[in-house]
Amino acid sequence: MQVAIKWINDQGGIKVGDTVYKLDLKYYDDESKKETVQSLVERLATVDKVKFVLAPYSSGLTLAAAPIAEKYGVLMNSHGGASDYIFEQGYYYVVQTLSPASKYQTGFLDMVHKLDPNAKRLALVYEDKEFSRAVHQAAKKYAEELGFEIVYEKTYPAGTSDLSPILNELKATNPDVIIGGGHFADGQLLASQLAELKIDVKAISILVAPALPAFYEALGTNAEGICAPAQWEVGVKYSPDVAKELGFEWYGPTQDEFMKLFKEIAGEDKTPSYHAAEAAAVLSYAKAIEKAQSLDPAKVREAMNDLGFMCVYGMWKIDPETGKQAGHEMVIIQWQGGEKKIVWPTAAANSDPCYPIPSWDEKSAGKICGT
Amino acid sequence: MAFFEQLASNLIYGMLLGGVYGLATMGLSLIFGVLRVVNVGHGAFIMLGAFTAFWMFTLYSIPPIASIVMALVIGLALGYLIFMSVMRRLLDAPELSTLLAMFGIGIFIEELAKFFWGPDYVGYSWNIGGISFPITEIPFTKICAFISSIIIAALLYIWFQRTKLGKAIRAVVEDREGAMVCGVDVNRIYALSFALGIGLTVLSGVLVTLFTPVGINVYMGGDYTLKAFVIAVLGGLGSPWGAFYAGFIFGLLENGSYTLLGLIPGVEPFGLTRFVSFAGLLVILLVKPTGLLGGE
Amino acid sequence: MRRYKPLLPVFAIYVILLIIGATTPGLWQPIMFIMFYIGIGVALNNFLGLTGYVDFGYVAFLAMGAYGMAVALNYFTELGFGAVALGFFLALLFSALLCIAVGGVALRLRGAYFAIATIGVNEGLRYLIEGARIWGGSEGIVLSGKLRKAFGPDFANYLSTFVADVCLIIVIFVASVITIYLINSRVGYALLALREDEDAAKVVGINVTKYKLIAFFTSAAIGSLIGASAWTLKLTYVFPEDVFFIHYTVEAIVIVMLGGAGTLLGPVISGLIYGALKYYLSVILPGFQLLAFAPLLIIIVVAFPDGIVGYVRKKLRGKSLFEYIR
Repeated sequence: MQVAIKWINDQGGIKVGDTVYKLDLKYYDDESKKETVQSLVERLATVDKVKFVLAPYSSGLTLAAAPIAEKYGVLMNSHGGASDYIFEQGYYYVVQTLSPASKYQTGFLDMVHKLDPNAKRLALVYEDKEFSRAVHQAAKKYAEELGFEIVYEKTYPAGTSDLSPILNELKATNPDVIIGGGHFADGQLLASQLAELKIDVKAISILVAPALPAFYEALGTNAEGICAPAQWEVGVKYSPDVAKELGFEWYGPTQDEFMKLFKEIAGEDKTPSYHAAEAAAVLSYAKAIEKAQSLDPAKVREAMNDLGFMCVYGMWKIDPETGKQAGHEMVIIQWQGGEKKIVWPTAAANSDPCYPIPSWDEKSAGKICGT
Repeated sequence: MAFFEQLASNLIYGMLLGGVYGLATMGLSLIFGVLRVVNVGHGAFIMLGAFTAFWMFTLYSIPPIASIVMALVIGLALGYLIFMSVMRRLLDAPELSTLLAMFGIGIFIEELAKFFWGPDYVGYSWNIGGISFPITEIPFTKICAFISSIIIAALLYIWFQRTKLGKAIRAVVEDREGAMVCGVDVNRIYALSFALGIGLTVLSGVLVTLFTPVGINVYMGGDYTLKAFVIAVLGGLGSPWGAFYAGFIFGLLENGSYTLLGLIPGVEPFGLTRFVSFAGLLVILLVKPTGLLGGE
Repeated sequence: MRRYKPLLPVFAIYVILLIIGATTPGLWQPIMFIMFYIGIGVALNNFLGLTGYVDFGYVAFLAMGAYGMAVALNYFTELGFGAVALGFFLALLFSALLCIAVGGVALRLRGAYFAIATIGVNEGLRYLIEGARIWGGSEGIVLSGKLRKAFGPDFANYLSTFVADVCLIIVIFVASVITIYLINSRVGYALLALREDEDAAKVVGINVTKYKLIAFFTSAAIGSLIGASAWTLKLTYVFPEDVFFIHYTVEAIVIVMLGGAGTLLGPVISGLIYGALKYYLSVILPGFQLLAFAPLLIIIVVAFPDGIVGYVRKKLRGKSLFEYIR
């Protein structure tokens, strides 16, 4: 967030008419509790006189904050709530920067379908929570359209420490491809138990967990070849040139500027991840305010309807009616030789997908992707 | 046939898991048995053990099995410190005050851990192979966790039966006033039992990571607290050995019931296994409610 | 009427809080946040405080209330305000059913056995709803869109930002009246005897089971109404992992104990302190509020084992203010 704010302020702020506005940030910790978030959003809207809020992390919290935001007429840009249904409730003042849940696993399925049309047997194992359920219900529908055969589908409850009951069952169905996961802990557990039970498949995509460096640190070479959807990754190829090629306007810092500013603010050893989405959310506000030539949230929301630009995070464009993000595309990352590589979509990729992935026995003997 | 193969492998895994559950509950039962303190912060101490194993392995490549001793020492020291600074002052206070204090201590430990180690989910991979069965694969780490758990429980049993201190602790559990009359220094026994209980709990955190070497996080303890409570009651609160056996029952119930529940259409069997194990607790309490209100 | 004097300071606190909330911009939600904590404190106090039984699974009653309201609004939306009324009725009904189930099994247990059996009820119920996919399973019930379509966005907003709050306030006022009534009635005296020594109480012929059940049902009913108004009506969604979150019970226990178990004023004062502290710590020390809160809690437990009101009552014994503080 700070990166985008600094960039905008360094560029001279936002011009509305003859006045130049600088951005300022106010933040509170909502402890991820639904009661707290309502109070804090109200405080932002009234005490701090904030007009533009970056919405809380997680779908439930966004939903809890939405009525308050609407009551005070502040605009809320969701950079954390990814579930589709938030935007199907008809809140006009809530817009989305992240790609919605329904898009999380579809890119991976596209990729597998293109690489190997014969890999048909798909298994789904995911956490029984609203977000992962939404992701995988959408993925299942999409997979069936692509011609996959769903050979197994089961969920597991949150906070479990042993997945062997479902994984033993899954192994017997002999799948080609596995998609699943839910959050951090269970995603790591899923990968580690797939390894222990030696369930070899051609491709695996797990939600959330593999997108973090801690995943590789925890699993070592067993993480090789595992894919995950990500909203953004360091090294994506979005640039002013790409934007020009595609006929979109470029706005905000370039990849290099972004990395430089980020290291200045967060420290040398930090790597940005969700920060790009936050930056895009801030940029979208700035851009829309400039376009509307007003600080009135209603007019800014109006202006967002036909706003479309490319930034370091990729495309930003919302569906005018629901506020759902429609422009941004997710990338698929894959662990290759201890590095997180972007393998899909081809336009953003910096490496070829490793397919089929090495078996668990090969991996424990030291084989890695790309060798 | 697939049905019986699945059931068999789930029962094997359930038993291995049960061994870890059992040991992870003994500390809770010991503290309750001796001091009548409900350790609501139980999970925080398991988390400390898990991080001990993680850091020792990541920083110094010490195999988790060797971290057991380290974790025990940390736990003993920490338990003693907590007893001397807080619990000692609450011995005459109502039962609920100690519960609140433990709740506060649990949060404090978790938040301190988050302050120093961050909120990330970490893990380690100590790959030492495994055994292949026709029905399933079992990694040696899980077997290690299981065997360590049995050995530790056995050592503890011998210590309780043979040593003077062990006998004194048992005497206090049986009859507090009686023990006092016989010249047992009850406060010392309290301090020792509390330290030992926390020590065992931190130690069990190492075994937890041997079984599940990933997803280690400062808030990981919550689920273990709930399960430990249930297991402790199943085993007849206050009895570490009962807790150890009950751990097996709970593990077998949790994993074993999956295969049967899978036969019901339209449900999520894995979620229902949790329902079965908690409902099982209620049924057992209904049949044999230790502490039942007389003969109404 | 003398025996109802202690209601005076309690109502004074409520009214002052509400006036502050209504007149200061940006403080209405925080005040409702505090009221929620006062509410769960007062509600749980009617059972925990009066009987000395620790119900870890108490949050399940709030959950039942939340689901009662959600089921009514989701399946009977066309009834309009009637659906809200039906929601409160279902909230009471669901919690009463749960009461019967828990009362049958757990209430026969004592001390830690009871406490843990109630955890079993709470977790078991949650996994039953998720595993058997009842009421949407883990996806819960999301009402915002439906309400906005049925009532129009303005009225739906009014429901969740105003009506829900008013309902909660009414519930809390009534809950306090019930507490003082219980304390002053036969029930209160019987429970006092039970709290001191359950076996002795039985020997002298007190029907302990009856009085325990009265306190249990009362407390559960209030809890379910809080769940229905402060959760479903206000937030417009119900997720099982959210409403069965055992942390809320622990918070309620903390509030009851800090204020002084079995007192009328106790949970009100400590709910106020707890809520306000939580809110301001998250504003001044974002990210570290719990780190600051935990040692504070430990110190208070060690320094005031009888709770704040228990301590004040001891100091005031024999003074004229004494009869206002219970």
